[in-house]
Amino acid sequence: MKPEQVRVVVVGGGPAGLSAALNAALAGASVLLIDSNSKLGGQYWRHLPETWLEQSELHLDLDTGLLLISAVANHPKIEIWSGAEIWSATHEDGATTLRLITNGLEKIITTKALVLATGAYDRTLPFPGWDIPGVMTPGGAQSLIKGHGVAAGKRVVVAGTGPFLLPVAAVLAQIGCEVVELLEANSPLRWLKSFPTLIQNLSKIGEAAHYIAIFNKFGVRPKFNRAVVAAHANKDGELESVSIAKIDSNFKIKKIDRVKCDLAAIGWGFTADTSLAGALLLKQFVTKDEGVAVSVDENQQSSIAGIFAAGEITGIGGSELSIAEGVIAGLAAAIYVGCKAGISDDHRKTRAKKHKFAEALISSYPVKSGWRGWLTDETIICRCEEVKYSKLKFAVTELGATDSRTAKLLSRCGMGMCQGRICGRFVVDLVANESGISPSDISEKERISVGNRPIITPISIELLANGE
Amino acid sequence: MQVFTLLAKPSASITFTFNDLEVSAIPGQSVGAALLEAGDRVLRVTRFEKKPRAMFCGIGVCFDCLVVIDGAPNQRACITEAKANMVVRTQVGGA
Repeated sequence: MKPEQVRVVVVGGGPAGLSAALNAALAGASVLLIDSNSKLGGQYWRHLPETWLEQSELHLDLDTGLLLISAVANHPKIEIWSGAEIWSATHEDGATTLRLITNGLEKIITTKALVLATGAYDRTLPFPGWDIPGVMTPGGAQSLIKGHGVAAGKRVVVAGTGPFLLPVAAVLAQIGCEVVELLEANSPLRWLKSFPTLIQNLSKIGEAAHYIAIFNKFGVRPKFNRAVVAAHANKDGELESVSIAKIDSNFKIKKIDRVKCDLAAIGWGFTADTSLAGALLLKQFVTKDEGVAVSVDENQQSSIAGIFAAGEITGIGGSELSIAEGVIAGLAAAIYVGCKAGISDDHRKTRAKKHKFAEALISSYPVKSGWRGWLTDETIICRCEEVKYSKLKFAVTELGATDSRTAKLLSRCGMGMCQGRICGRFVVDLVANESGISPSDISEKERISVGNRPIITPISIELLANGE
Repeated sequence: MQVFTLLAKPSASITFTFNDLEVSAIPGQSVGAALLEAGDRVLRVTRFEKKPRAMFCGIGVCFDCLVVIDGAPNQRACITEAKANMVVRTQVGGA
């Protein structure tokens, strides 16, 4: 198979990828946009066909998204491959080669300018019963409504930490679910530390007010310093109730109540999808929330010339920061392949402002180490391989593992189909804790290596054999 | 389990089977969403402990919603679009 040459390749069809593709095309470059979803918009602008309902009611910022999607879809210089999954990426002699599956066929493309905008997914923490049907991520519950028009339950508990819990609780209430609890693990007073930043981003206060109005209408009363610490199944093995704990500022349990529900949507912020960046050996760093992000310069260029990154993979920051970064990355990629364009000071100022707000967000919604106290020996740690906490501890205390890679080999934590996307991040913390290493002493290398997957997405041998 | 529906939603005009029973879906809906709406939340049974599992991340990351579609195991119900006459089965263990 002969690799196909294109000028700028953008991976990801969310806010950052769409902005990058559009701006690279506007600067004069030919663009190939590769997206794993069947429809453009990413997780943020996931939407139903327009004829279904008045969607602006369910989505705060869909207009911007639809505008951007239509501009990208109608631009003559942009080619779009939707539903395409990249499974391998390599960089050699100034060019990147991507191998992907689209419409059941393997394709190979090479490019000198690549923009990665692969986004993020919900950050999860394990707790007893989190594998019971009915426990989901907030992103999962939201995508079922926004993408498919289906509510995943009737009596719902939304919990975890971060501002994303607000739109999720709101959309569940709007579609007709009874939101019996909305629980934020942290205290709202944490925002006082970032008061000046908040004042400079008044639109964000407006957003919060929008959700509070919805909660008032539907009788949802948010509570703080509370978390779901266990889930319980009925005789069919499906969710029947959750244990809700009042927790201290380090997430230690103070008092527990039982609440009946058939859906618990629980999330702890986001984890960047750095699989592709890791495969390309791009320099990465550990973020303030112990996540991993791709290092970029002022033009969104990574440690490899010609490879740019934008959006959540350069640090979790929301759609507005993603758009600002996407604009710059798209222009920079076009300039890299010889187009005449400029990156204005206004672009950089917008990005700096959104970046500051993102940092305030991260420090307002930390995940504190007390969550480890919610686990029992029987708690599932790796959902794929059904590895219990006792087995992971055994790998450290009895078999001598001192890092998460060895613990993974000895316990099978992270060796299943999801390749550690769900458990990898917190297994690092659990292994360190068992080894007597404090969270601040965990090496960057240890955290970054969690996202390294030589095969980016599992594919069948049959599909490879059918390649062009 | 009953779930709520949206007001202006089009009718479910395509059908497929899940464990030999007919399920309807709206064109564009995922297999997982159509099954959830039909009241089928449990999609697979785990290999070792034979525990029921359902959609968890909902966006193709966690591989917990694996089903067998037209004889092929390990298909993610959350991101696979429902197509007419698909034959979908609960995945038990690896297949």
